[in-house]
Amino acid sequence: MILVRRASTVFILALFACKVESKPPAADTTANSDPKVTSTAALGTGSLAGARIAVAHAGPPGEWQMPAGDYASSRYSELASITPQNVANLHVAWAFSTGVLRGHEGQPLVVGNTMYVVTPYPNVSYAIDLAQTGQPLKWKFRPENAQQAIGRACCDVVNRGAAYADGKIFYNLLDGHTVAIDVATGVQVWRTKMGDLARGETMTMAPIVVKGKVIVGSSGGEMGVRGWIAALDASTGKEVWRAYNIGPDKDVKVGQRFKPFYAHDSGSNLGVSSWPGDTWKTGGGAVWGWLSYDPALNLIYHGTSNPGPWNENQRTGDNKWTAAILARDADTGELVWAFQVTPHDMWDYDAVNENILVDLPMKGHTRKALVHFDRNGFAYTIDRATGEVILAEPFVPMNWSTGIDLTTGRPRVVETKKTAQDKNVKDICPSLEGGKNQQPAAFSPQTGLFYVPTNNLCMDFQARAVTYIAGTPFIGGNAPEKGGPGGYRGEFIAWDATTGRKIWGIKEPYPVWGGALATAGGVVFYGTLDGWLKAADARSGKVLWQFKVGSGVVGNPMTYTGPDGKQYVAIYAGIGGDMGLLIAGDVAANLPYDVRERGTTLPDIARWTSWGGELFVFSL
Amino acid sequence: MRIQSHHAPVIRGCAIAAVFTCVAISACNRGIGARGDTANATPASPEQPAVSHVYVAGDSLRLIAHDEMLPVGFPSSVKPLLIKNPYEGDKAAITTGGKLFVAYNCLDCHGADGSGAMGPSFQDGRWHFGGAPGEVFESIYQGRPDGMPAWGGRISNDQIWMLTAYVRSLSSKDLSTENFTGKTIERTGH
Repeated sequence: MILVRRASTVFILALFACKVESKPPAADTTANSDPKVTSTAALGTGSLAGARIAVAHAGPPGEWQMPAGDYASSRYSELASITPQNVANLHVAWAFSTGVLRGHEGQPLVVGNTMYVVTPYPNVSYAIDLAQTGQPLKWKFRPENAQQAIGRACCDVVNRGAAYADGKIFYNLLDGHTVAIDVATGVQVWRTKMGDLARGETMTMAPIVVKGKVIVGSSGGEMGVRGWIAALDASTGKEVWRAYNIGPDKDVKVGQRFKPFYAHDSGSNLGVSSWPGDTWKTGGGAVWGWLSYDPALNLIYHGTSNPGPWNENQRTGDNKWTAAILARDADTGELVWAFQVTPHDMWDYDAVNENILVDLPMKGHTRKALVHFDRNGFAYTIDRATGEVILAEPFVPMNWSTGIDLTTGRPRVVETKKTAQDKNVKDICPSLEGGKNQQPAAFSPQTGLFYVPTNNLCMDFQARAVTYIAGTPFIGGNAPEKGGPGGYRGEFIAWDATTGRKIWGIKEPYPVWGGALATAGGVVFYGTLDGWLKAADARSGKVLWQFKVGSGVVGNPMTYTGPDGKQYVAIYAGIGGDMGLLIAGDVAANLPYDVRERGTTLPDIARWTSWGGELFVFSL
Repeated sequence: MRIQSHHAPVIRGCAIAAVFTCVAISACNRGIGARGDTANATPASPEQPAVSHVYVAGDSLRLIAHDEMLPVGFPSSVKPLLIKNPYEGDKAAITTGGKLFVAYNCLDCHGADGSGAMGPSFQDGRWHFGGAPGEVFESIYQGRPDGMPAWGGRISNDQIWMLTAYVRSLSSKDLSTENFTGKTIERTGH
C-alpha cells in the first residue's frame, strides 16, 4: 500500500537530485484560460452513445450516501444546475475546520439535510446541519482509537470516508476497528475490532454497505500483513464472513464457483503454491482501496495491494492474489473470479484502485464492463461477469511493460526494468505511486468518458533483503522518485474505455492526488496538490473555473442539493497521504506546524500550500 | 527467502541476531550485543563509564535528564544524572548502529537516510522525547505512544546504545522553511 501507501509507501533518498525539478516546472495552475488539451475529439455521436452506469445512484439525486455516490463507483451526479455557462460564478458558500491537520482523503456524505464528515486520525466524525444558517453541528463523535496506530500506518493517517445505511454511518478507525454511529444521536451503536495493530493492520478504506452487511478491509501491505476482506452485520457489528486474499483455498474462499477467465489462474491452493515456503503468511495483499458492487451479479469487486516485501527475491512466483482484482459473492465472500493485474509485482504496483462498473457499447455489443486504472499504468476494460480483459492500454507514460497479452491477461515485462535484490534499477515509469493511486476517477454517461486524476512520476528501485519483524515495516527497498517525461508530474485526463484512448488532458505541475466528480451539468471537478479546486468542461477539457482552497487537495469532490434547493459542491482541503510524505519533511511527526520539502520529488510545493483540515462548500 | 517465522518475532541476543549476519558477527566479534542478557551491558572500553541498566531499582525517574520538562517550583537536592552513551562518537559503533538500523527495519519507518517517513525524522534536530543519549535510549528501549515499538528485552542494551549513537549522528540543525525555494538541502546520511 502504499500507503498507501501504500499501501503505497515512498522512501526518498534525500540526496537524490533531479535535473527536471531543479526549478519549478512550467506550471499551468494559474492558466485557466490555457489548459493543455491534447485533443478535442468530437463526442456524442460515436461508439460511446449508450454507455451507462451499471448501478443507480444511491438515494435521491441530491444526496450522497456512499463514498462514490453509487455502488458502481461512478462519482457521477445527476445534478445539473452548475453548467459550463455559469460555473464561473461559483463561490464559497461556507467552510468548516475539521480540527485535524493531516491528509484529508475521502469525501463527506449528505443524507437528508445533514452532512457527515470523518477526519483523519483520530477519526472524529461530525454531523453538520445544512438546514440552519451557520451550519451548526448536530453532534460530534470522537472514538476510542489507539495512538500506536499512527506509527503503524505506512502513508499518513488518512481515512477515505463513511458509508450510510439504515440510520447509521459506518466507518473504519485507523487502529483497526469498524464503528457504527446512530445518525440521529451521534451515539456509537457498535464497535468491532477487525485488524490487529500488533501485526501492522491499520484501517483507512471507506466501507460500502451491501444488503445489511458492512464490507471492510485493512491496510498494511508494507507491514507484512496477510490481506483480507470481511463483512459485518450492519445491525450488530458481528462478523459474517472474512476472506483472505492469500493462503489455502478455504481461507481465500475458493470453491466450486471459482471460475477465473485465464487457464493459468486455475488450480487448487494457488494462494499457497505461488509463494515459496510459508512466505504467503506475510505476503501483503491488503484491501485498502475502493469497493464496488453489482446487485445483478451479486458480486463485490475489490483490488488487493502489493505483495510483501517489495524485494521480489524473497517471494518468487506469481504471489496470488496480490496486485489483483477479485470478484466475490456479496453474501458469502466466495471467490467467483480473480484476475492478477501484475503477477509477481516487483514495483509496488498495488491493484487497489477503484473498479468502475459501466455498460459499454463495444463492437456492436453492450459489454458489462469494469474499468480500472491501475497503479501499473494500464487502464483495463474488463468483463465484470467473467474477468476477461477486453482491452488494456497505457494511460500514462510508462516503460516497464510493452503491453498486455490479451490471450493471458499478463503484461509483457521489459527485462531491464525488472527489479532485483541488491540492484539499483534506474528510471522505471510509472513510479511506485503508480499512474494513478487512491485518487478515484469518475464516469459520465453523458460523454461516455472517464475522468482520471493521474501521476507522471518515475523511480529508481533499490531492493534489499529484509527480515520480517511483526509490527515493523516489511519492505526491503528504496525507491527515490522524480518527475516523468514531459516536465509535468500529473495530468487530469478524459479516457475512452471502449477504445483505450486518451481524449484530452490537463497537465498539472504536481501529481493529481485528489479524486474526480462528473456531473450532469457537463462540468467535471478535481482538486490539486497545490490547493486548487478546478472545474473543467467535460467535453473539451477546458478549465472553466478554479479556486485556491486552504491546503492541498487529496480528497474527492462531491455534490448535493441543499435544503434551499441549490446545488452545492464540497471538497476537503488538507494535504497529506502518501504525497504528504513526499512533501512534508516532518509529516509523520506530531508537531505539524510547517511544511518543508523532503527530498527533491516536489521541491517547491511548500511554496504553494501548507497543512490544513477544512471542508469547503461552493454554490452559484 | 524468509528467515524468521512471524510466530517468533522476539529477537534476543546473538542466537537470532545471527540472521543479520554481518551485523551480528561484527557485534559478536566485539564482544558486545551478544549476551542476550539485556540487564547487564558491558562497557566497550575501560575509559568509558560503566553503563548501569536504566531501570535500576528505586531511582529510575532521576536517572535521565529531560531538559524540555519544567521542574516543579521548589529546590531539589537531587540532580538528575546525565546518562552517557559508551559509544557516543565511536565511529565503529556508529557504523554498526547503522547496520542495526537496517536490520531491525528502523529505516523503513524513519527513512533510509533518517529523514523521516512513517516515523519522525532524525535529521531535523527535533527530538520529541528528548535528544540526550539517555533519552534516545529510553525511546528505543520502551517505545513511544505514536507507534514506536519497544525494543527493550528484544535486543541487547549494547545494540540500543549503538543505535542511539547512530541516530544521534544523523542529527543536524533544524532545516529552514526557506528551503522550499527549491535549493538543495545538504544532508548527512549513509
